[in-house]
Amino acid sequence: MLKMESYERYVSPVNPAVFPHLATVLLAIGTFFTAWFFVLEVSRPKTNGKEAIVKELAISFFAAIFLGVGILFLCLSVGIYV
Amino acid sequence: MRLCLLVIGTLLLVGCSFSAVTSDQFPGLANVDRGIENKNVERTIDITSQLVKISYKISLNHAEKQNIKSYTFLVRGSERGYLAYISAKDSSKKELKLTEDKPGTWGEHLGYTMTFSTNTPTQVVYIEAVFTKALIPHPARITQSERQLVKYHGHLYFFSPMYKTVTQKTTVHLASKNVESYTQVKPVILSENTVTYGPYENVPSTSDEEMIIHYENNSPFLTVTRLERTIEISHWGNIAVEETIDIVHSGAELKGSFSRYDFQKDPRGAQSAVKSYKTILPASASGVYYRDTNGNISTSNMKTLKDSVELDLRPRFPLFGGWRTHYTLGYNVPSYEYLFRRGDDFLLKMRVVDHIYDDVIIDEAVVKIILPERCSNIKLITPYSVTRLPDSLHYTYLDTIGRPVISFTKKNLVENHIHDFNLKYNFSTISMLYEPALVIGFLFVIFVAVIFMMRLDFSLTKEREVHHHKD
Repeated sequence: MLKMESYERYVSPVNPAVFPHLATVLLAIGTFFTAWFFVLEVSRPKTNGKEAIVKELAISFFAAIFLGVGILFLCLSVGIYV
Repeated sequence: MRLCLLVIGTLLLVGCSFSAVTSDQFPGLANVDRGIENKNVERTIDITSQLVKISYKISLNHAEKQNIKSYTFLVRGSERGYLAYISAKDSSKKELKLTEDKPGTWGEHLGYTMTFSTNTPTQVVYIEAVFTKALIPHPARITQSERQLVKYHGHLYFFSPMYKTVTQKTTVHLASKNVESYTQVKPVILSENTVTYGPYENVPSTSDEEMIIHYENNSPFLTVTRLERTIEISHWGNIAVEETIDIVHSGAELKGSFSRYDFQKDPRGAQSAVKSYKTILPASASGVYYRDTNGNISTSNMKTLKDSVELDLRPRFPLFGGWRTHYTLGYNVPSYEYLFRRGDDFLLKMRVVDHIYDDVIIDEAVVKIILPERCSNIKLITPYSVTRLPDSLHYTYLDTIGRPVISFTKKNLVENHIHDFNLKYNFSTISMLYEPALVIGFLFVIFVAVIFMMRLDFSLTKEREVHHHKD
């Protein structure tokens, strides 16, 4: 009825053993970008709002990516299998 | 009355031996080969646990030396309500497919027809049937220290109104050698904990004599009244299984009050009580939890064996007759054990129900399979017929459109029902990126909001000094 031979065992695209390490590294990088972003925000002179926006968006984008993926792996490593 | 019976009996013997069964009584008679006879029937009735397991070895023979194509096995109408599982094997121990005859074919009785793959005038059939709740505690209420006595109501002779039975023998295995009473129709031998009836020869197929055995049975009488099994699949490499279980002690009810003092003083005194039992989980199970509404139940032991994980579960209180408990048991298994793929096609192959304790009775099982979001073409293949419940959606962490839930239910299950189901579905691996994208998007929106807010001016007075400094 079912041709089992053509099926192969499914493994996660990321090895579950590295979830905690990935979470740590990605969250550290993400936190670095976040810190940089906020330092930039509070130290920026009020006048050059237009010129700085590209840099702010770029840094916040990287911060979001690293934090986002880091949070996902944090969830996976603590047992919240999304 | 007795004279009347005698006259009928004589008439039966004198007349055609099948005269008592007629086609209006059993419409199915027209379709069976009446030349087949049960040359020898060996019945083994195992009533050592709370279940009644009957195995038959039936040697068939065709009186006119014709080939035996099919055979019909009947389950009495009075017993069909207890029947949980039935299977048949041929002489080479190969599974024979049983087809249930249409209701009414055999009157109130239930017929199972099997077709043989080999054509010979002699055949051997092995039939295994499991009945639940057929052992009646008698007395129905006992005190804490009393032994549990149960009564088994069976039948002395093999039931086969359409085929002639030549010789038959029945062996009954009991749980203990304490037998209060048993039906005595010679030849009968009681030795230790087995009762052997027969061999009986050429018993009229209509005789309906009862076999009653009243004996001591202190094996755990536990019934799972409701089992809810949830299987949650994550394509990040995990399958989470959670079982919510309602258990009741279905043996003789506890009469009077429970004395903790007597129980602690002599734990062997309360023989009918269930203090603990073993649950066997798959070998790869990890992160096992055993809890109820109060929280973790600490009185459990986990032993990792070579091919399984053995859990020794001790409920918060010993279970006496009529007492019930409720708990949740959960664990994780890696996906590569049960999930298979071919491109974007996935196949989940898991057990419908798993082991809870030995000789389990499950009144009602509800199985829910939670699949990942955005999967399609879901197809369920079950090893036996189940009642499919309407599909629903389940929302958990990082879900947007909801995960499809496939659920089905089945009543009256026993250990023999531990079989794999297959669930096929389509899932594109790219869809796994929705979850991180959701978090990334959320964080980015916060950052953009910060960028925007830092550009708002909340001061009440215009800051002219800044411009002065610049000038």
